[in-house]
Amino acid sequence: MAEDKKRIKLNMGKFLKIIPERLKRIKNSSDDDMKPLYSYKPNALAAAIHPKEQFVIVGNIEKLCSDTLLFTLLPDKEKGTSSLSPFQAGQYISVSVSSGKRTYSRPYSICSSPSEFADKYQIAVKRTDGGVVTGILHEEIKQNDKLTVSDPCGSFTYEPLRDAKTVIGCAGGVGITPFISMIRAVKDGMEDFSLTLLYGCKKPQDALFRDLLDKINDPRIKIVYVFEEGAEDNCEKGIINAELIKKYAPADKYSLFVCGPHNMYTHIEKEAEKLGIRRKYLREDARGQMIHPEKEPDFYPAENGDYAVTVISSSAKTELRCKSGETLLSAMERAGVTAPSRCRSGECGFCHSRLVSGVCYTPARADGRRAADKVYGYVHPCCAFPRSDIVIEIKA
Amino acid sequence: MRYDHDIIVVGAGNGGLAAACRAAGAGYDVAVLEKHNLAGGVASSFVRGRFEFEASLHELCDVGSEDDPGDVRKLFTELDSDARFINEKNLFRAIVTGRDGYDVTLSAGRENFRKSLLKVCPGCEKSLDRLASMLDRTSEALAYNDSKKGKPNKLVMMFKYGKFLISASHSLDDVLRSLGFNSRERSILETYWSYLGVPADELNAFHYFEMLKGYIRHGAGIPLLKSYGLSLSLCDSLLRRGGSIRYNCEVTEFIFDSQKKVIGVRAGGDEYYAKHVISNVIPHNVFGMSGKNNVPEKDRRLLNARKFGMSFICIYLGLDKSAEELGIKDYTVFISHRKTSRLQYDDEENMGFYVVNCLNLAVSEASPEGTCSLFITVPVTNGKLMRGVKPENYYKFKQRIAEKYVDDLCSVLGIDIRENIEEISVATPVTFARYFGSPDGTAYGYRLSGWDGLMARMLSKGTELDIEGLTFCGGHASSGDGFGVSYRSGVEAADEVISKLGGKNDG
Repeated sequence: MAEDKKRIKLNMGKFLKIIPERLKRIKNSSDDDMKPLYSYKPNALAAAIHPKEQFVIVGNIEKLCSDTLLFTLLPDKEKGTSSLSPFQAGQYISVSVSSGKRTYSRPYSICSSPSEFADKYQIAVKRTDGGVVTGILHEEIKQNDKLTVSDPCGSFTYEPLRDAKTVIGCAGGVGITPFISMIRAVKDGMEDFSLTLLYGCKKPQDALFRDLLDKINDPRIKIVYVFEEGAEDNCEKGIINAELIKKYAPADKYSLFVCGPHNMYTHIEKEAEKLGIRRKYLREDARGQMIHPEKEPDFYPAENGDYAVTVISSSAKTELRCKSGETLLSAMERAGVTAPSRCRSGECGFCHSRLVSGVCYTPARADGRRAADKVYGYVHPCCAFPRSDIVIEIKA
Repeated sequence: MRYDHDIIVVGAGNGGLAAACRAAGAGYDVAVLEKHNLAGGVASSFVRGRFEFEASLHELCDVGSEDDPGDVRKLFTELDSDARFINEKNLFRAIVTGRDGYDVTLSAGRENFRKSLLKVCPGCEKSLDRLASMLDRTSEALAYNDSKKGKPNKLVMMFKYGKFLISASHSLDDVLRSLGFNSRERSILETYWSYLGVPADELNAFHYFEMLKGYIRHGAGIPLLKSYGLSLSLCDSLLRRGGSIRYNCEVTEFIFDSQKKVIGVRAGGDEYYAKHVISNVIPHNVFGMSGKNNVPEKDRRLLNARKFGMSFICIYLGLDKSAEELGIKDYTVFISHRKTSRLQYDDEENMGFYVVNCLNLAVSEASPEGTCSLFITVPVTNGKLMRGVKPENYYKFKQRIAEKYVDDLCSVLGIDIRENIEEISVATPVTFARYFGSPDGTAYGYRLSGWDGLMARMLSKGTELDIEGLTFCGGHASSGDGFGVSYRSGVEAADEVISKLGGKNDG
């Protein structure tokens, strides 16, 4: 310590050397032009993992059942997507489709294995009544068509530090898709957890991916079909509930992962409460477009049936009408305004817009805004319902 | 399409927003072009489940109270922002593990700071007196320098402000040694090195002292609505002042005239012309968008000589119990397994240094009742941590790194949070590269080391990156990184431009 305590003497003359030293450094340095950004590793990784958009070619289109198609999407190398971006099982991509002059986008969970990310994504699309985009995908999109998709997003993924080693999956209908990816990820060694999947469908013939599910021979994965109508051997009858979850759950802790139609989330939440499942062990996928705001606990009715909305974008000002039970995003889409959007569930913030004037109802459950957004008047149009005439500035 | 404005600001980061607000307040027609769909740059937050996570800000220096406002608070008032802050009176707890390690908590306020340091380092009174005198002399020297408009009398500087000349030209570690601090005392006093991104043996002492003074005087300042609230408050002020922000609008080219003056930018197929362009984008990227012939050779050499500042790995945890229930007692803990800032800096791979921050202990409503959030910040100094990371193993890498740091902080702090993680998210230099587009994902601009330290930059101001029609602001600008500093650099850039354009615009 003696050495350590010794005070060293410093010279103020060094001050005069600051500039000469700097000038020398600059003079001796290279005159080359700046290296391109992708030559830096973090930037190259960012471009590979989170590209602004990905160009894909539609490969095989397979009919999974009467109303659901499986699309295989391949990288469009000609347009510059040499390899697709990696993803975590459970994530989704937002798919953009054009019809006439309009462009729409919708989120679809990836159901292929994350181990095959570079070469293909697969998405399953169920045709819904009145669904514009599912209609286009079913009727108009053919093999070899070109599409644009987003980078993979979403947080319906397995996190070893957060989730239990055993996952009880509750899938309803086409909500099986993220689980298909998880099953493949476990089999391919990309994920390390046990999954017991309760797959609820109306009838046996509605169950998707049965070829795959029935052939799984892996001690970590168990599939339990739950049919409302029509019985099969080794299947459960009825709907997924607390009793059924308990029957298949381990004695110690487990995570409950849910993906299905809207009403399924509300139902499973109640069942999870009966089972005393902690919030951290209940994970829900993004629910998608909210179609029944009136069922939300904090719902309040509007005075009018519809309202005048003025949409300001960088290039245009559009006047349109929005029904009180319809999201601002849907109304804009109907009027042909292309506004940014991705998850359509309130969580990703891609549609973040400034409410110049007016009042919107955002159901608390879907309100993924930051505290400051609420204070300074920003909304997520994908889950904002008008409660007065609105002026909104979108970021397009 | 062609747009015309008085001033274009490229990038709505801290510097850009402050510059835009200032210029709009002076009556200029200002348009900010931002490549993302959110304003703020690093000053942002994100939501996972019922948690909103602060993306990058830990705390601000020089905020002060309403009665005794520091520079940053004054600046926000001047910019007409209604942002609210609170102050944290404990500066930090610092733990260095192992033999001869320490576990100290330092407090803000001159007397409390002294007392809290003497409690763990008895016998350094004299050195502390010398340090206090040096800090005071530095302030006086700066005031004198300002009063002479940056052209001080050399003899006065030498005879009256010799201590300033010493701190301005030597490393922090050398200056603390000259004041008589032993290695343990130095290690404790140097704890804040990570806020400037350079270890104490390379860091300009004067620079560190300027920051330390602010923390000792005012404690740490924390915005009530997270740093994103600061960003939105500035956007709000900007719009009220008649300015505009265009989002999802990435500038891809700087337009020069035949005299090599910047006259505008190109973004998304449109052209934006202006009397002046203020860039919150790092000079490296601007030069990359300018064409070699348009920018001065000496400035290109300057950029090539520079090294980038640190980037970070950030681990955000939402916990389903309160801080109290989990036994988390400190707002800020600096944890290290190495004893000097040099080793802490160099040993990125082996948890040389990281910061654990529990926002709830400063702002109780930072997360829902009965929960708390933890924010772990790991400086990425040499990129060794990222070795072997490829697109296909990136997510696994994030999981591995989170596990490693959570295990370590639990064992160092004697707590167990592993059963309480309700939300988790991890940001890496890749995340920073993605959102800022800065080379190497640097969050701190250029490395403030040795020849490119703060004093060297201050003395060179006006002679470097002096491109007609273009002014830089932000963490990469001459005053260095830090939230408060970046806001200030924006205001200074705007003032410079306003004076070039002929002062306040009453037209």
